[in-house]
Amino acid sequence: MSDMNPVAHLRHDLRTPVNHIVGYAEMLIEDLELPAHAERKAALERTIGAARDALQAISVVLAPTREAVLPEELAGLYATLAEPQRRVVEAVGGLLALSGEPPTPTFTEDLQKILAAAERLVPRDHATAAPQPAAAPAVGEARARLLVVDDEPGNRDLLKRRLEREGYVVVTADGGHAALEVVAREAVDLVLLDMLMPDLDGLAVLERLKADPATRDLPVLMISALDDLTAIARCIEVGAADYLPKPFDPVILRARLSACLQQKRWHDQERDQLRALGYVTAAAGAVETGSYRPGSLDEVAARSDAIGRLARVMDRMAVQVGEREARLRERLADLRSEVGVARQSIETAQGDSGLTYRSGERLGTRFEILAVLGRGGMGTVYRARDLELDEEVAIKTVRPELVADETMRERFKDEIRLARRISHRHVVRTHDFGETGGVWYLTMEYVEGITVRELLDTRGRLGVPAVLALGTQLAEALAVAHEVGVIHRDIKPQNLLLDADGVLKVMDFGVARLAERSLGLTEAGLVVGTPSYMSPEQITAEPVDERTDLYSAGAVLYECLTGRPPIEAASMVTLVARVLADEPAPPSSLVPEVPAALDDLVLQLLAKRPEDRVPGAAALAERLRALG
Amino acid sequence: MPKILLVEDNEMNRDMLSRRLIRRGFEVVIATDGEQGVALAQAGGYDLVLMDMSLPGIDGWEATRQLRAQPATRTVPIIALTAHAMAGDRARALAAGCNDYDTKPVELDRLLGKIAALIGGTP
Repeated sequence: MSDMNPVAHLRHDLRTPVNHIVGYAEMLIEDLELPAHAERKAALERTIGAARDALQAISVVLAPTREAVLPEELAGLYATLAEPQRRVVEAVGGLLALSGEPPTPTFTEDLQKILAAAERLVPRDHATAAPQPAAAPAVGEARARLLVVDDEPGNRDLLKRRLEREGYVVVTADGGHAALEVVAREAVDLVLLDMLMPDLDGLAVLERLKADPATRDLPVLMISALDDLTAIARCIEVGAADYLPKPFDPVILRARLSACLQQKRWHDQERDQLRALGYVTAAAGAVETGSYRPGSLDEVAARSDAIGRLARVMDRMAVQVGEREARLRERLADLRSEVGVARQSIETAQGDSGLTYRSGERLGTRFEILAVLGRGGMGTVYRARDLELDEEVAIKTVRPELVADETMRERFKDEIRLARRISHRHVVRTHDFGETGGVWYLTMEYVEGITVRELLDTRGRLGVPAVLALGTQLAEALAVAHEVGVIHRDIKPQNLLLDADGVLKVMDFGVARLAERSLGLTEAGLVVGTPSYMSPEQITAEPVDERTDLYSAGAVLYECLTGRPPIEAASMVTLVARVLADEPAPPSSLVPEVPAALDDLVLQLLAKRPEDRVPGAAALAERLRALG
Repeated sequence: MPKILLVEDNEMNRDMLSRRLIRRGFEVVIATDGEQGVALAQAGGYDLVLMDMSLPGIDGWEATRQLRAQPATRTVPIIALTAHAMAGDRARALAAGCNDYDTKPVELDRLLGKIAALIGGTP
């Protein structure tokens, strides 16, 4: 190039970066997807426009016909170029500050190249006239705060001034200890850390920053002379974001700072989103347990992003759920009054029936028997006090023939383990399976209430709203059990408890299956329950799935509505035959007030073929709620 | 796919020009100085060479002369890229054995036109 005249030389030096700006911007535009990236395209077009203006100015002042140019002409050209330079930096800075996924993997990198090219448009010594570049040296909305740590005052000052010119806020520290003090005292967005310092070197400072959860995420750029590469590698292993070789190249400095801060922005954004998401998740939990306060998500809901939208939807849904629960409570109030009446008559009717254990007796050392609650196929059920935990429990002793050998006991344990997976307010919680003095027993949550059987025996049929409330709760309990793979197999009025508030609790999950397996099916019909509530497939000993529980639920609802089981017969044999063959009469034919939709729903649950029934317990709950 | 050998020492020029040519459907191989350019070209298989004339070491003028002296590369089209537009450059480039020349900064469409003229149509 020695044969080039100075004007041609200069023209080349200035046109090259302009061409880079145009070239990269054009390439970036080619990769954009419209209209999604319209904003980016507009900014890149502004970039190209500014570059073309720069080219125009260069062509005029440094025309090919000229062999020499006056210093004041040149100064004028640089002053002119500062304007398009500012426009390029502004447009590209705006692009760098845009949040969201870059449209291409090299997008940010190429923008940095445009910035680097723009920088070469006006030499440093002429650049003072140029306005502050708006290259978005920002974290979030505020200007980024950088901490420069260097023990050498000259270096420190130089770097500070350079960074301030880039638009950063700079604080300094003259050593490792001082740096840690600054970081502990005030918020900084990034640390520029010299490697070699007398009191506490860069690596030691870095290690302390990375060991402290409060500063772990703070990006650290190591400053180093190029020759201690091993130390640099060590720093990056420890967690430094990058390093800056001395002496500083302004382009590299800007690029690395910008990349680090961008990363920190993403990181901060991510953390903020996770926190907001945490509130929404907590609110979801609160909705489930019924403790959600409408409006408690307001802060998150005010966000303009997807999480904000999620919070708004969540809040709306929670309010709807709340309204639905209120409707359910109204029905329960109805049911509760019926329970109240029924209870009194039960209490007077219940006579003393030969106890295996009597009140005040101990079962082992842990349980004190308080009362007999009932007798079933499995054994006797007691109310007892758990002396160890000082709480009331229900204890069901298991008939010896059901737990005769180790295999049977193991099966029992398996079933209990399975049943314990269900945790729901409408399911009686099973605690333990144990043995004392040769007696095997199950302990479970004690619910003070009466069974639906007792309620029906005392009151006859229930009103439609009460049946809907009961059915919804039963369906919810079944949905949760089915979801974890537990089939009840013995849903019947005797296994449904209503507490004093009218809240339904399903008992004996996992237990019916054991009795069935241990005793064989013919007997099971007698022992486990009555065929009135058993599905056709269960009666014929075909493989059953969760749809057998839906049939039984249908039979229970039928009886609650009409006061009679869906199928009746004088003898067990006839009953079994009729369950398999006969269609039950619609509940409304017995009780005219039963609405048609509920009629259809109950009959659908009682379909002979499982595939003709309501598709699942959750769907059943949904349909019952819809009838409310 | 036409295969172009780009001999250019400036990293940013190289990055941009090669990427833009690749986007236009060319296969681009890069040499970062004259010696490498000559070695790669002699291995053969190129439809065209884009030669920056101001290279460190063997400059583009010399590299072109060497390519023209070898049978394997005697006929490969070479476009010289010069940093300035001086009246004598075109004649000088053609004299050195180049088929055409273009000035830097490169205007892509103009360069593509010249490439097309030498190797017959854009890909």
